Amino acid sequence: MSGYKIAVLIKQVPDTSSKAGVNPDGTVDRARAKKMLNPFDKFALQKALEVRAEHGGEIIAITMGPPPAKEILAEALEYGADKGYLLTDKRLAASDTLATAYALYSVVKYLGDVDIVFTGLQTTDGDTAQTGPQIAERMDVPQITYLEKLAVVDGKIHGVRVIEGGVQKLTTSMPALITVANSAKPLEHKRFHNVHSVKELLRNEEELANKIFTVNLDDISADSSRVGLVGSPTVVGKTWKLGEKGGSCALFKGDAVSVEVAELVDKLKADERGIEELVQ
Amino acid sequence: MSNYADIVVIADQIKNDLRPITFELLGAATDLAKKLGVKVQAIVMGYELGDIPQTLFHYGANEVFVVDKPELAEYTTLTYRRAALAVLEAMERPPHILLCGATTIGRDLAPRIAAYFETGLTADCTELEIGDYEHKGKADPAKTGLHKDCLYAIRPSFGESLKARILGPWKNPQMATARVGTMMPNEPDNSRTGKIIPVSVNFDESDFRVSVEETVYEVSNTVDLTQAKVIVSGGFGLGSADGFDVVRDLSSAFADSAVGSSRKAVDAGWIPYAHQVGQSGKTVRPALYIALGISGAIQHRVGMSNSATIIAVNKDEDAPIFQFAHYGIVGDLYEVAPLLKERFKTAMAGDVNVAKVGG
Ligand SMILES: Cc1cc2nc3c(=O)[nH]c(=O)nc-3n(C[C@H](O)[C@H](O)[C@H](O)COP(=O)(O)OP(=O)(O)OC[C@H]3O[C@@H](n4cnc5c(N)ncnc54)[C@H](O)[C@@H]3O)c2cc1C
Ligand SMILES: Nc1ncnc2c1ncn2[C@@H]1O[C@H](COP(=O)(O)O)[C@@H](O)[C@H]1O
Repeated sequence: MSGYKIAVLIKQVPDTSSKAGVNPDGTVDRARAKKMLNPFDKFALQKALEVRAEHGGEIIAITMGPPPAKEILAEALEYGADKGYLLTDKRLAASDTLATAYALYSVVKYLGDVDIVFTGLQTTDGDTAQTGPQIAERMDVPQITYLEKLAVVDGKIHGVRVIEGGVQKLTTSMPALITVANSAKPLEHKRFHNVHSVKELLRNEEELANKIFTVNLDDISADSSRVGLVGSPTVVGKTWKLGEKGGSCALFKGDAVSVEVAELVDKLKADERGIEELVQ
Repeated sequence: MSNYADIVVIADQIKNDLRPITFELLGAATDLAKKLGVKVQAIVMGYELGDIPQTLFHYGANEVFVVDKPELAEYTTLTYRRAALAVLEAMERPPHILLCGATTIGRDLAPRIAAYFETGLTADCTELEIGDYEHKGKADPAKTGLHKDCLYAIRPSFGESLKARILGPWKNPQMATARVGTMMPNEPDNSRTGKIIPVSVNFDESDFRVSVEETVYEVSNTVDLTQAKVIVSGGFGLGSADGFDVVRDLSSAFADSAVGSSRKAVDAGWIPYAHQVGQSGKTVRPALYIALGISGAIQHRVGMSNSATIIAVNKDEDAPIFQFAHYGIVGDLYEVAPLLKERFKTAMAGDVNVAKVGG
């Protein structure tokens, strides 16, 4: 086969812009929340599509999560991915990033001979940006994080990576893992043709099973002692609602604006907050 | 001597310019080390590092491990990984705590080190503390029990408007990356000095699988929001890019001030990304933060809620920002902002004596 074997890691996350499942205090009820494809992963998918468009090959979308996460694999096919793999297993519950990275690494290894692994920069729920580099460590491959642009020439990846106050231009051999910055090119629209064929696919269970695969830890020969609670070196000890402090805003309203402003500034002075020293 | 191993900070530098996060990490490490009765150690990697180790002493390091090699002139994941591992593996025992910046270097390197040692790493912390932890769960018997003097790695869980304390006391080093702008640096003391420990490193050929063609780095390029004493920020309520004229004008009333923005105003193209405050922008803690036409979404709030004084102007009385601002005016920012400026100037400038009474 010509071209590259490309894996793209995508995750299904709660859609916090939707009202569904978002409690009045801002906490999320995961069971009721609407779900979506992690927006950061769309940039990763776009890069995979670009590489395949130029060099050919195959794009395999991989996700780890509960069974409904299959939805985002179908979505990835609509955007043009060739296949999807869902890793789902009760033993994965409570996995931290180290355990998640081991599980996803195991899927990549199971697929064999992957040239490039693309991940999003971070997720909107886990929000660590750690999973990608931790997979790269397991694979013993180089990585480029915060990648904005890339070109593949003669089997090498030339990338531009965002850094504080600038960019780094670098080249790496393959296989490599790349986390794509959210300042990279946005994902192009779904092609009508793809959307149509995914619709057909979803009606035909047999064909679907040849495009979207569901595997568990045993199927991919992963070590179950390295995932879940047992395989995770960290735990969440305690949580607080944000914003329990404060809540005592001195609010000025209703009067003429000039009165409100005068009252506010008088109160600032009376409270001795030291604002005077800041005025020039 | 304490029973505990020391606290180690990985210095963050680009082209031999120490990033501000390094000083913030040393500040946080100093506090933690005091509680444990241990030393603060720093690892600095690079080439021709000159007096950088001295600077690290000034900001709180007791000992500095230096890996100074031509191969480290530019940051690459695998060469810096090898150098960091060389230092850590040369230690008699693993550090109690290992801290990196939540920067494009720290977030690139720390996960690899954590995965290599199979230890825990908490991303993007906004607070670090020391405390005891009793693990009551019995699902994993190896974890159950009381653990003294653990690292409390505290971070917001943005998706859920929660703050979470993450623990991993079962294995050292307990690792965390710290969000830029959230930890307080020590006052530099130029007379402080300490022990320099040079470390050699044997690179493997495979460490050079990435090569750097060019690093474009301009310090001045970045708007220094994190250093400003006063930030006046504009949001989507400005209605247009021109609205930032009002923001700039109010900002000019203060010495040492900068202009900030919400993401929605950045996304609308009204102002460059460098001005963005919040989860995917900068974390700031100025003495005074004035929010004009900003609703106060959680992602904005986590970037500015540690400001000493927050004033919000919004025409919607129910805007979430009034739940955590200290002072608020319900009204049209276009009317309020110019009056605020005038009032600040007339009522406050030169009035220092009055204000200082008792303070
Ligand atoms: C993953 C993720 C990351 C994010 N990161 C960030 C981030 O880093 N920073 C950030 O800011 N946001 C971030 N957001 C977006 C955030 O959720 C909000 O959408 C954003 O902060 C809203 O910006 P705003 O307050 O300017 O706009 P709006 O929410 O539209 O609020 C505008 C406000 O202006 C008021 N207003 C209108 N006209 C006037 C007037 N004439 N006078 C006075 N008041 C007026 C309105 O009442 C309203 O409250 C992120 C979101 C996600 C999902
Ligand atoms: N459960 C998962 N399934 C597939 N990919 C994931 C999963 N968790 C994280 N990733 C990938 O790792 C990136 C970083 O995630 P995080 O470390 O959670 O911020 C994401 O953008 C995804 O590409």
